[in-house]
Amino acid sequence: MDWGAYLVFLLQSGLGSLASYLAAHVLLCLLPAFFIAGGLSALVPKDAITRLLGRKASKFVAYPSAAMAGSVLAVCSCTIVPLFAGIYSKGAGLGPAITFLFFAPAGNILALAYTGVALGADFALARVVLSLTFGIGIGLIMALIFSRDDQAHAEAADTGYVGSEGLTARTVIFLVLMVGLLIFGTLQVRLFLNAYASFTLPIQGFDRVQDFLFRLVPFDANKGEEGVSVQGAILIGLLVLIGLAAWRGLGQVHEGYNRWTWASLGLIALTLLMAAARMEPKAHGLEVAIPGKTFGVLLTMAVLAYMARRYFEAYEIQQWLWETWRFVRQIFPLLVVGVFAVGIIRQLIRPEWVQAVAGANTIFGNLAGVVFGVFMYFPTLVEVPIAKMFLSLGMHPGPLIAYLMADPELSLQSILITASIIGRTKAWTYVAWVALFSMISGLLYGQWVDGASPMILLSYLTGFFVILTGCLYAIGRRQMAVLRAAEIEEVGRR
Amino acid sequence: MKIQVAGPGCPRCQMTEKNVFNACAELTLAADISHVTDRKQIQDLGVWTTPAVIVDGKIVVSGRIPSVSELKKIFADAGKAA
Repeated sequence: MDWGAYLVFLLQSGLGSLASYLAAHVLLCLLPAFFIAGGLSALVPKDAITRLLGRKASKFVAYPSAAMAGSVLAVCSCTIVPLFAGIYSKGAGLGPAITFLFFAPAGNILALAYTGVALGADFALARVVLSLTFGIGIGLIMALIFSRDDQAHAEAADTGYVGSEGLTARTVIFLVLMVGLLIFGTLQVRLFLNAYASFTLPIQGFDRVQDFLFRLVPFDANKGEEGVSVQGAILIGLLVLIGLAAWRGLGQVHEGYNRWTWASLGLIALTLLMAAARMEPKAHGLEVAIPGKTFGVLLTMAVLAYMARRYFEAYEIQQWLWETWRFVRQIFPLLVVGVFAVGIIRQLIRPEWVQAVAGANTIFGNLAGVVFGVFMYFPTLVEVPIAKMFLSLGMHPGPLIAYLMADPELSLQSILITASIIGRTKAWTYVAWVALFSMISGLLYGQWVDGASPMILLSYLTGFFVILTGCLYAIGRRQMAVLRAAEIEEVGRR
Repeated sequence: MKIQVAGPGCPRCQMTEKNVFNACAELTLAADISHVTDRKQIQDLGVWTTPAVIVDGKIVVSGRIPSVSELKKIFADAGKAA
């Protein structure tokens, strides 16, 4: 075997996977998603939500708001730990804190947008619904199991906040518009895809460039790989330009706008528009079609720009841009390395192996998905391309969901941090529950994909919950009995 | 006046600290400024979301980066009240 040639082949495969990811998926989903994440971080006053998680909050308010806090506030890793500790020790208690911890990695906007575009909307939806229900479920279970400890811990008075403002309408509209931009760009709806105008740029030679690109980045459509089109190559070029301009323009925007800021914003707008159009290289030139979504993207961007000027202070907009760039700098390099590595690894793994272990929706297959998720630690969002690789190598969607549920929630690192806040017993109990729930959600989703009727699934789920409730009830009874015995003893001693 | 900036040392917290320093400089305010990075201590201060600014034990900003002009107003008001 020629090792040199093999190495080149592997590198080529890594680069190919990177190039097709950047060209095809990233732009219309991740660019707006980063801006939304930046907006959530910079413009949403956090105490508006944390106030709902105070000590006196009722269960019906506390659990949903904990989940909401997870998806809205937890885009920045440095807010997760103090927030978790805050909810646990000063706020609503262990249950909502666990719900928050569980839902945050799966429910934040970056993870959802990326899952939706890379793996399909059904996976994204399954991820949200399953992690929401199970996040609240595990929270309730933990609160029940450790109900005595929870009552015991510090009932310190809340420190009063001085002057806190609520969520304003302009912020909500601004964020909703950005979500709209994301949806316009990614939703595969006729109205958005139909071409309403088309023209041909009379520049020759694009067809030869296309041939060259396909030879440079070989791909196998059967394996779910994608090549790089001319449009993709142009977009990658634009991305590089944005990166260069944003380094100076957005990285230092808190000092005030500079020329680079406008350059990078202009380039971003241009890139989004280019990505929404369709380009096909022909012999006589480049054929450009303008589908409906280009107009949607253009319109939303215009309204966003107007709002930013009219309704927000310069300081707020600068914060927003700065936070956005910070997210990009924090996450994007990891993603690039991750996608490149995935491209290489996929050549080394035989599809037969994956199919043998997790090709079918079995308990063992789902367990394998969970175990892989716990012991492999991937940085934020890299779990998505890895999941895509497994899917194309023949993993069943059930175990894949089990993996997607377990990976972001459980890693050695997060288990250790959690343990330092709530104690080792509670942390490992939590881990066990997450593993169990991930497995079950994988099994159920797998059955759903395999075409089981909703009634059967519902009866499985009900059966599971009946058993669970029974066990928890028994535990609760026993704890009550222990408590009462202690009380009686106390009275007897007096 | 005692001003504390609470945050685990992330870029946003450093920016908050910088703004606090700038605000104090512009007001020519002699304040005792410290940066609390220990998680346990942050928790004891009652802070949930970082970065946070605490003036004489009261949380005045939490979970966002305050602007210099906002901080100047807060510090001036706190100075008057004291």
